[in-house]
Amino acid sequence: MRASSGATLEARGIVKRFGSVLAVDGVDLALEPGEIHALCGENGAGKSTLARIAAGILAPTAGEVVARGAVGLVHQHFELVDRLRVWENVVLGREPRRGLRLDASAARERVRSLGAAYGLDVDPDAVVETLPVGVAQRVEILRELARDPATLVLDEPTAVLAPAEIDALFATLRALAARGTSIAVITHKLAEVVAHADRVTVMRSGRVVLRAATGDTSIEAIAHAMVGADIPALAQRVEVAARPAFAARGLCAGDGAHALRDVSFAVGRGEIVGIAGVEGNGQSALTDAIAGMSTYEGELVLDGQPLRGTPAARIAAGVRVIPQDRRREALVLPWSIAENAALGDHARAPLRRGWTIDRSARDALATQIVDRFDVRAPSIRTPLAALSGGNQQKVVVGRALGHAPALLVAYQPTRGIDVGAAALVQSRLIEARNGGAAVLLISFELDEVQALADRILVLYRGAVAAEFVRGHFDRARIGALMAGAA
Amino acid sequence: MSRAQRWILGGLLVAVAAGVIALAGASPLAGFAALVRGALGGERQISETLVQTTALLFPALAVAFAFRAGLFNIGAEGQLIVGGLFAGVAGSALPGPGFVTIPLILAAGAAGGGAWGAIAGALRARFGGSEVIATLMLNIVAALLANYLVAGPLHPAGVAGAETAPLPVSSWLPVLLPGTRLTIALVIALALAAGLAFVFARTVFGYTLRAAGEAPQAAARAGIDLRRTALVAMSLSGAIAGLGGATLVAGVLHRFNVALSPGYGFIAIAVALVGGLDPVRIVAAAFAFGILQSGSLSMQALAHVPKDAVAFVEGLAIVGLSARRIAASAARAD
Amino acid sequence: MGDAAGFLQLTLVKAAPLIFAALAGVVCERAGILNIALEGGLTVGAFAAVAMSYATGSPLAGVAAGILAGAMLAGLLGIAATRFNVDQIVAGTGLNLLAAGGTAFGVAVIFGAPGASPEVHALGPRGEAILIAVALALAAVLQLGLDRTPWGLRLRACGENPRAVLSAGLDPRRIRIVATLMGGGLAGLGGVFLSLGELDLYSDGMTAGRGFIALAAVIFGRWTPLSACGTAVAFGALSALQFVLQRSGVPSELMQALPYVAALAALTGIAGRARAPAADGVPFDAG
Repeated sequence: MRASSGATLEARGIVKRFGSVLAVDGVDLALEPGEIHALCGENGAGKSTLARIAAGILAPTAGEVVARGAVGLVHQHFELVDRLRVWENVVLGREPRRGLRLDASAARERVRSLGAAYGLDVDPDAVVETLPVGVAQRVEILRELARDPATLVLDEPTAVLAPAEIDALFATLRALAARGTSIAVITHKLAEVVAHADRVTVMRSGRVVLRAATGDTSIEAIAHAMVGADIPALAQRVEVAARPAFAARGLCAGDGAHALRDVSFAVGRGEIVGIAGVEGNGQSALTDAIAGMSTYEGELVLDGQPLRGTPAARIAAGVRVIPQDRRREALVLPWSIAENAALGDHARAPLRRGWTIDRSARDALATQIVDRFDVRAPSIRTPLAALSGGNQQKVVVGRALGHAPALLVAYQPTRGIDVGAAALVQSRLIEARNGGAAVLLISFELDEVQALADRILVLYRGAVAAEFVRGHFDRARIGALMAGAA
Repeated sequence: MSRAQRWILGGLLVAVAAGVIALAGASPLAGFAALVRGALGGERQISETLVQTTALLFPALAVAFAFRAGLFNIGAEGQLIVGGLFAGVAGSALPGPGFVTIPLILAAGAAGGGAWGAIAGALRARFGGSEVIATLMLNIVAALLANYLVAGPLHPAGVAGAETAPLPVSSWLPVLLPGTRLTIALVIALALAAGLAFVFARTVFGYTLRAAGEAPQAAARAGIDLRRTALVAMSLSGAIAGLGGATLVAGVLHRFNVALSPGYGFIAIAVALVGGLDPVRIVAAAFAFGILQSGSLSMQALAHVPKDAVAFVEGLAIVGLSARRIAASAARAD
Repeated sequence: MGDAAGFLQLTLVKAAPLIFAALAGVVCERAGILNIALEGGLTVGAFAAVAMSYATGSPLAGVAAGILAGAMLAGLLGIAATRFNVDQIVAGTGLNLLAAGGTAFGVAVIFGAPGASPEVHALGPRGEAILIAVALALAAVLQLGLDRTPWGLRLRACGENPRAVLSAGLDPRRIRIVATLMGGGLAGLGGVFLSLGELDLYSDGMTAGRGFIALAAVIFGRWTPLSACGTAVAFGALSALQFVLQRSGVPSELMQALPYVAALAALTGIAGRARAPAADGVPFDAG
């Protein structure tokens, strides 16, 4: 089959079903050589699925993909083999050989020359799991470039990069496009789309709802097309007399690239402190230390008492954590909303009565969460696995806020959920702050941190680089500090 | 696995069974008939089937208990043997009326099995060592230990084989049906099944076990101590299996010898899976497998089909049923 | 008296089936398939070898039959794991039971009641020596293969992150099935050594848990062929030691238990915490 006109890649009438879920519902897409094409949409709109179909990794239920040349795909969550070296990852499947053996030096040379050609420097012998996230992404890109693709698709490539690294990445992509490669970038960061892309296609619920040249459209138009309605406004902040509540002193945790180094800060009651930073700079170490999930040095104080001990002790002390990965760290997916609602408070009154769980109290709690947090589900008996990501997250947040915590740690609270659910979650965080909770917000999205925080602390390489107070958020300076500027 | 898939698997197993019987030179119909008649053909036969059911029910509940908590207890056989050993020693040594000695004998069995399970549990809790490997190894160590003890240091004078002294008749488990081997062990097992069903459905302890089994990371962040859960679950699982061993000693053999179990601990894994890890359905599954166990002997005697044909089909059944994801925590505890 | 030489020879004879089974375990697990049915592989290999030798009079045909039988048993695991995403521990347990029952059934049907076969044409001392040499050589070949060849790289990648292998345009399921078949054949070969090498007959239960000792050797040997082989030889030495001490009053069960206790000790991390392949035993859904 020939591609019509000069398009490098054409997808025609793509439909993809996963069981009863229709992920892609009749999509056409054409990528031209030399262009950077942005593919936008909410989580669950079908973009990643379409990308995998275009790259030939996933077979469509209907429709066809006609591609001139190889199609490379850089995944959102890297698909590298952590324990192998960079060169082993890059040549996997296309290994240079000398007789029966791997030609390791040829492979290393491949990595070096590719890296030099595209400005992506990596040490070929480094073991991938020791690399910082931004460097690991380069490895993934190199692996795809080693296939000499005519089309390169990148799925949310800037999610893990500091602003300066984002510019460098797009410079690389521009250079690639200039050589004739078609570039498709899946992203939800509309500022980037307008700044760097030539054309944009917006998907919603599996269908294309907007196609435009970026010069002919605007961020507002794209956002509106993505959501199909106006984005709900956030809750209002109120004046709160902040009182000291939580303090970290000299916190040191973990080791290696993702450690925490001598971090000290405080969060008062009635304030949201936002930790800004690129993924992989100690955020997980910080969350785990506060949650009691790891060992650390230094001390934590909550409401005048030392905060220490097991996770159970900390929950009893009033600490609640919204973890980064709700599917693995917050929820029991096969269980119902009711059973999940009890998790964390199951060993204490009122949910515990003697040796058994008080089912009516548990059901009442679950109903409360569903009502207050607008969880769309048939009943509280519905298994969590049947809910969308946004509704699952609402259950997690509702449960965390259910007992008026003293300290709430929200780690990437709106990751991977639709705009409506994200706005609700963010509003609830503000309302908790208004009600006197101390809220520690850890997010990789600078926009989110800026929108919600009373104070911003920038975390870089495990240390607090600077502090900014609301009203004095210098976005450029924050971005530079996130990337390691002095 | 869907209903339809279960039926297909069942049909496949029946077909394989028929083929195996034919390989032995018998007609499949004759073979199946001999099996069913041998299992259910009369009062004596049914009672014997129930004896096998009971023997399977204890380790199956033990295995299911551990599986629900996310732990692979492949060591029910070893825990059963150690429990039987303790029961045999206690039973042959304790004097007194039955209502005193019998509970002690059963408790000794539970303690022995529980200790054996606790070894694997401790290795997992303290060192993160895989309980799969641990229980597999401990099965063999249990057999070797039992062999050594009853042939050597614990061997009573005047007894012929490698076994403990016989239990005094007063310490034998009371029989439910006169003239048969069916004892109150069945009642104990049924009560245990009901108790476990309650524990899982209603208690806080059961809740924490299930959470640890289905979503260990979420459970840990919710304050559940995974290490302690592993130790407790493995110990209780071992205790249940050990209790089963004790009922075999006090109810069926009336002594302990190394041939106590023809692999109940392994077949119990199939029983637990067929029962979907649910105590109530496991009772039904145990009955089905009990039919296979007692029927296999008459299939061998009457239709001349070696009884190992049943073990072969049971193994195939386990493979077929392994499609069910047992636990969220992988067998390797790192 | 060539005591040391005699002891070494006995060690290698005892170790050979363990080496084959341990290498089988290493190959499977490095590819991501947790194969606890090594015992079953030894069993069917031992049985098939004797049955074939009995039928044809040729021990070489027996060797081929043993390898094939082992491969088929492991192939069941490979298909179940890659096509149906089963729980590999449970499937392995089923295979062990299936193998034990199936071979006992076969013995009864082919050879009659006593639970053992009559003596058959075996490999003899020269065949034994050749197999031992093959075992040791295979350990080295597999080590080199895993580390230095494209096949080895792809297999290792499958065991760590099959998604990455898929992204690289390869088929992780096919690589895993092939690895499982290879492993099964190795385990079968170990069984062949037991029944046609060391002895010249098959009897029910003759594998006596060696497949599980091999699992211990895989862990102790940190999932690398050479170390696993070395550990297997050490276990063989323990076995030989038990033989030598038989008459000294040390209870034989105690000696027999040593490899298993050693494996339990390994779980405490005394041997250092090595990490299993990241995707070992984890069902992979290609979606």
